[in-house]
Amino acid sequence: MDKNYLTPEESFTIITKAISNFKTNYKESAQIFLLWGWILTIACFAQFIILKILRSKEAYAQIGLYSIANWVVLILIGFIIQFFILRKIDKEKKVRSYLEGYLKSLWIVSIGSYLVAAIICIKLAIEPLPIILLIAGIGTTTTGLLLRFRPLAIGGIAFFIFSIATTFVSGEYLNLFAGAAIIFGQLIPGYLLKSAKE
Amino acid sequence: MYKDLDPLLHSQLRLAIVSMLVISEKVEFAHIKEQTNAAAGNISIQVKNLQEAGYIKVEKTFKNNYPKTMLSITDKGVKAFEDYVNDLKKYISPK
Repeated sequence: MDKNYLTPEESFTIITKAISNFKTNYKESAQIFLLWGWILTIACFAQFIILKILRSKEAYAQIGLYSIANWVVLILIGFIIQFFILRKIDKEKKVRSYLEGYLKSLWIVSIGSYLVAAIICIKLAIEPLPIILLIAGIGTTTTGLLLRFRPLAIGGIAFFIFSIATTFVSGEYLNLFAGAAIIFGQLIPGYLLKSAKE
Repeated sequence: MYKDLDPLLHSQLRLAIVSMLVISEKVEFAHIKEQTNAAAGNISIQVKNLQEAGYIKVEKTFKNNYPKTMLSITDKGVKAFEDYVNDLKKYISPK
């Protein structure tokens, strides 16, 4: 492939071919989506079980400790697995798209927003879950729209619906709602993304 | 013939390389080789020409103890590509 005297038509053909061969790798995004989908679903259902069992035993003093341990341990496991997945992806990656950079920025801002929301809710003594699900909805819907993958955008809308729905629920059942929100908003679209053709 | 066209981009291999870089943040040398079916030596020469013109950046790292070369386009390269495409349009649909 080495030709220096091109016609304008040939030049356009080269440009068009290079652009049309470019493919967004859905499967890499799906791995991270599924990882956090499972981690957070397990954490939500585990939290429900902790609250249900300890409340029935009237072991109130231990609820806080077990709750923090549940979330911290699972999220830590999530970050460790994510580190190895990203390292493997990075080693195999031959093309890094602009879209990946946008998505990375979007989710870094979303994680920052989760932390800010948690601090605000603790300070105001209000339930953080509706706001957390709202932020998840923003991140997931935007990711779906950027990837032009409709199931993920619909999953994001599911987060918005669950965000409103959780305001009608209280106590340990909030965790069941959050778990269901992650299944509909993240796990199902994540598996669809994984099986999608590039 | 086609005097207005940037001679650096008006070459089959260099144009293919720059077109790939315009739509991606970073592209590995091996990917360019796969997509263009050109010889590694030839690609290296064209990459060097584009780098010397300030159109692309070359970043060398290691992958499993093997050298990994990542290429990316510069602002100057994007501008040159845009100008090249606009100049091409004049030849295809002259006013």
